[in-house]
Amino acid sequence: MKDIIEINNLNKSFGEVKAVDDLSFRVKEGELFAFLGINGAGKSTTINIMCAQLSKDSGNITIDGYDLDKSADKIKSKLGVVFQSSVLDSALSVYDNLQSRAALYGIVGEDFKKRIFELAKMLEFEDLLKRTVGKLSGGQRRRIDIARALLHKPKILILDEPTTGLDPQTRKILWGVISELRKSENMTVFLTTHYMEEASEADFVVIIDSGKIAAEGTPLQLKNTYTGDFVTIYGIDEDTVKGFGFEYEKIRDAYRLLVPDTKAATELILKNPSVFVDYEITKGKMDDVFLSVTGKSLIGGNEK
Amino acid sequence: MNVALVLIKRNVKLFFKDKGMFFTSLITPGILLLLYATFLGNVYRDSFVTGLPPQITLSESIIDGLVGSQLISSILAVSCVTVAFCSNFLMVQDRVNGNIKDLRISPIKPSILSLSYYFATLISTLIICFLATAICLIYVAIVGWYMSFVDVLLLFLDVLLLVLFGTALSSVISFFLSTQGQISAVGTIISACYGFICGAYMPISSFGTGLQKAIMFLPGTYGTSLIRNHSMRGVFNEMQEQNVPSKVIKGLEDMLDCNLYFFDNQVSIPVMYLVLSLSVVILVGAYIFINVLKKNDR
Repeated sequence: MKDIIEINNLNKSFGEVKAVDDLSFRVKEGELFAFLGINGAGKSTTINIMCAQLSKDSGNITIDGYDLDKSADKIKSKLGVVFQSSVLDSALSVYDNLQSRAALYGIVGEDFKKRIFELAKMLEFEDLLKRTVGKLSGGQRRRIDIARALLHKPKILILDEPTTGLDPQTRKILWGVISELRKSENMTVFLTTHYMEEASEADFVVIIDSGKIAAEGTPLQLKNTYTGDFVTIYGIDEDTVKGFGFEYEKIRDAYRLLVPDTKAATELILKNPSVFVDYEITKGKMDDVFLSVTGKSLIGGNEK
Repeated sequence: MNVALVLIKRNVKLFFKDKGMFFTSLITPGILLLLYATFLGNVYRDSFVTGLPPQITLSESIIDGLVGSQLISSILAVSCVTVAFCSNFLMVQDRVNGNIKDLRISPIKPSILSLSYYFATLISTLIICFLATAICLIYVAIVGWYMSFVDVLLLFLDVLLLVLFGTALSSVISFFLSTQGQISAVGTIISACYGFICGAYMPISSFGTGLQKAIMFLPGTYGTSLIRNHSMRGVFNEMQEQNVPSKVIKGLEDMLDCNLYFFDNQVSIPVMYLVLSLSVVILVGAYIFINVLKKNDR
């Protein structure tokens, strides 16, 4: 797989504040790439620079083979962006909104009609076309935002916290469509999210903190590196658990031990086979990775 | 080209669907109408009558025609500029609510985006101002009609030119605005001040000499005078036919800003057109220039 996004030594400061600090990473074509960080970590600044909305202080960005400094317009036609909050015209109908946005990419007339009906079917908003955007529910509006981003069949879809505040049904529709597009059109998805279960589905994750990369890797690599395994043992007394010498917590009808890795869990079981009658071993979660890497949790996107 | 047309359609639709912007743009003509209907009309009527030499008596119809023409010329002179400002605030609102981001992430040229705002403002303002002109003409027809067909055509031309001026001026000023507070502040200042500095609320001749000279450097003044000339010319012609001395008529023309003097030299109507047209060209040039500068600054 080729690198569709290459960012090298990117820097951006606002006055004394260094928003992006020597940031370098690659995104492979067709992958789901998760870009994580608390609010103010530098995610939006990076995205704005990638979309040619903000100038950079230094560094290089190449997207689909085009240098951002030389071919910003070419890059813009490759990107579809779903912003954190909807930026459609509330006073206009869904149809009028999508018509004006499609025209920006030269999609007009019959081509537009064909495309809008494809998207309406895909994202299930055929019955919303004549409705005013300002009167739609949050979930309905999000579907229109996604449709807007997909109007020109972008090679890269940037999703900036796309599912925040959405109901489970809309989240399911959204991810269903995105998965389908990734399969059928090999679309690359660049995701920022506060939902770690979404990030755990990513092919590759970059966590940034204060504008710098704090950790990167596949979700499995990150879990293996930054969290231990959890061994949950049922029908055991606390004294026995205490004797294992690992950090533990009592849960409803069991004890959960934190062990360094799967190897340590296996050794523990082999040493104490009589105790391990009813148990399970689980990997740490992406929340634990994030907490371990940044020392902050992502509740609501703010530092906690 | 299609892109620009679709964007202009979007902007015009947004203006007319945004009740706040639409009704705000109608406030200035509404206030003027109310002021005149309540007391200014009578003040001007009395000043005309008392200003005439004792041996001259004018018919009620002529006086009503003159007062009515002054009313509509004031309304139109102010509206062409204030409505353009209100309409152009759409550009600022797009910045305030972030919608502009959605347009700028596309490969559209910034020049097309800027021109789409300019032409949308022009169209919205023209629709409202031509409608206002039609209503004003109906009003004049009721109170005392003395205008010729040519006067009516020239009045529409004046409105068109003044709208072009207002659109260009508001585009340049709105370019630098980026918050709701700035929109409100500029809207208030323009609504309150423009009518005075262009000579629509108070005749320029009633200002002090220094201020009169300063106002003559503002292009809007010439727009107001053009509208005054073409809406009142019929009344003055009728006065001439009724043997009112030329000196008296000239005195009225001076008092009502139909005649403008740039350092004691009377400005002819073709020169007024030239000044207004040139200022439109210069302002549009400035608007294009600042857009190019901003693009390079990204």
